[in-house]
Amino acid sequence: MLLEVRNLKTFFHTFRGTVRAVDDVSFTIAKGEILGIVGESGCGKSVTGFSIMGLIEEPGKVAGGEILFDGRRLLDLSDNQMNEIRGKEISMIFQDPMTSLNPVYTIGEQIEEMLTLHSSLSPRERRKRCVELLRSVGIPNPEGRLNDYPHHFSGGMRQRVIIAIALAAEPKLIVADEPTTALDVTIQAQILKLMKALVRERNCSMMLITHDLAVVSEMADRIIVMYCGQIVEEGRARDVIENPSHPYTQGLIGSIPKLNEDKSRLETIHGIVPNMFELPEGCNFSPRCRFCREICFGVKPDFRLANTEGHLIRCHSACGVSEGGNEV
Amino acid sequence: MSLLEVTDLVQSFDLTRGFLAKLRFRGGRLVREERVVHAVNGVSFRVERGKVLSLVGESGCGKSTTAKTIIRLIDPKSGRIFYDGIDITRFSPLEMRPFRKKMQMIFQDPFASLNPRQKVVDILQEPMIFHKLATPTEVREKALSLLNRVGLRTEQADRYPHQFSGGQRQRIGIARALAVEPEFIVADEPVSALDVSIQAQILNLLMDLKDEFRFSCLFIAHDLSVVKHISDDVGVMYLGKIVEKGSKKDVFAHPAHPYTKALFASVPSISAGKMMSSKGIEGEIPSAIDLPNGCVFHDRCPSRKPVCHEEPPVEREVEVGHFVACHNV
Repeated sequence: MLLEVRNLKTFFHTFRGTVRAVDDVSFTIAKGEILGIVGESGCGKSVTGFSIMGLIEEPGKVAGGEILFDGRRLLDLSDNQMNEIRGKEISMIFQDPMTSLNPVYTIGEQIEEMLTLHSSLSPRERRKRCVELLRSVGIPNPEGRLNDYPHHFSGGMRQRVIIAIALAAEPKLIVADEPTTALDVTIQAQILKLMKALVRERNCSMMLITHDLAVVSEMADRIIVMYCGQIVEEGRARDVIENPSHPYTQGLIGSIPKLNEDKSRLETIHGIVPNMFELPEGCNFSPRCRFCREICFGVKPDFRLANTEGHLIRCHSACGVSEGGNEV
Repeated sequence: MSLLEVTDLVQSFDLTRGFLAKLRFRGGRLVREERVVHAVNGVSFRVERGKVLSLVGESGCGKSTTAKTIIRLIDPKSGRIFYDGIDITRFSPLEMRPFRKKMQMIFQDPFASLNPRQKVVDILQEPMIFHKLATPTEVREKALSLLNRVGLRTEQADRYPHQFSGGQRQRIGIARALAVEPEFIVADEPVSALDVSIQAQILNLLMDLKDEFRFSCLFIAHDLSVVKHISDDVGVMYLGKIVEKGSKKDVFAHPAHPYTKALFASVPSISAGKMMSSKGIEGEIPSAIDLPNGCVFHDRCPSRKPVCHEEPPVEREVEVGHFVACHNV
């Protein structure tokens, strides 16, 4: 296993109370694997990514758990030691290509910074490597564009530059937080294809955080679905998409209008995501669940096996349907 | 007769207002140069009574500008807008006022489109009072029943917008649009800021309300699957032009324009997984300041011919009511 997260808890302490943004989350990423983490706004998917990178700031705090990366415990490392790992071994791609590049440096300087910090190349070799990187992410005329500033590039091109920076030090793991959410659909398709090809080619692993189930189903090997800070379903991508077993995942998939289907009404999950300050006592999803029973209001459910191996759900009534669940 | 008919609508924005802004140094000489964004370049379409027409396209294709221009939030540069047979293109704000009751808008961002200092009930009452649709005694009751209709509880009426979630605010925005019982609603990306489970709730609500209030709708969206779900007719826009239009059935079943085809191929899907293997399109949307010669799509088009660089294509009817602007069709 390249990355192993065990019982991770990241809490935010505010004046209004404690928000358990990530509450007891465990998962693994194997070498060369693309893991997709999906969920709606506020479900804790980005905070999970930030926790792995060691980027949680006050009032947030990693309150418990372990993060094992390549055999090292990341949570025990000092800031300096983390700086050695960030960028070199784990790199991150952020959501907004308009704000994640520094506007006062040329893109050549920004890519080169990664190489200066994390490699022993000479200045001339660095320059050559920058050109190679830009070419590999599909930027036309890379030699000519090294001295351009970020505002010379469009959104899609900036995201390509950011990917080039993320790949510069040949990381083992890339954490991509909503990498294509800000892009148009034709550009999104270009970037997703590029990312998948690069990850496969370099045999690195990727953690793809997104709200878009369709994107993960095209990209990921395995999928984790999060709701209110917890994993509610996990499994191989095909299993989760074709056989969603947690009522929340089923609702999410039903909510997506499909291009190849004609339906007059969409299935919906009624209600809204609960306030993170006042989570329900039992299952977090119980107030919105169609199959909710008495036990769901009182007891937090544990993981149980759904139909196939490695496909887990956190629900009292497996698949919602059997065991006499009442539709509310 | 169609409820709304738009012919050859043109909208552009001059970035260099005033004489001094137009001056620029070029090769050591001072030259006069105008920079104009050509947002909408000759768009024609109709919205039939009781139907939903969707304009779909990527950012910068002019779909929102078209929407704002036809309800006269911005004055068109040329072209004509007929509402119910009446030419409203050059109407003054005063002349437009009776039409404001008939045409309403639902905005994209539910966090920016509601006045933070107004209670929800006041937000709903104001248009009714302004257009004299309710007496002061019954107006509150009307507002409350409307609130109920869009799925909010009446005891929430005296709260302020910040006390609601994004989906609830969008419900308030919809209720405000319906307050004057309009015949025609322009919905500018009403669900794109919402999470997918909330988006489904709002789409269902819009469709129920459409049947109940019998309004016609111009729906602006970038998400093809949402468009497929809600519309009767579809227009695909690219760089300020409608490249393909027709009934939803025809356009989705046999898309003819290369851009429409590429758009379909780029949509990620949970079931089929075709996006990864499809060709998609290369390149990006060109700047609307210097429009390409000939067909606006030619530099990204996989099936371009020499003629595409030179002449803009004429709209052709490929089947009844299905129009495509492409030299190859």
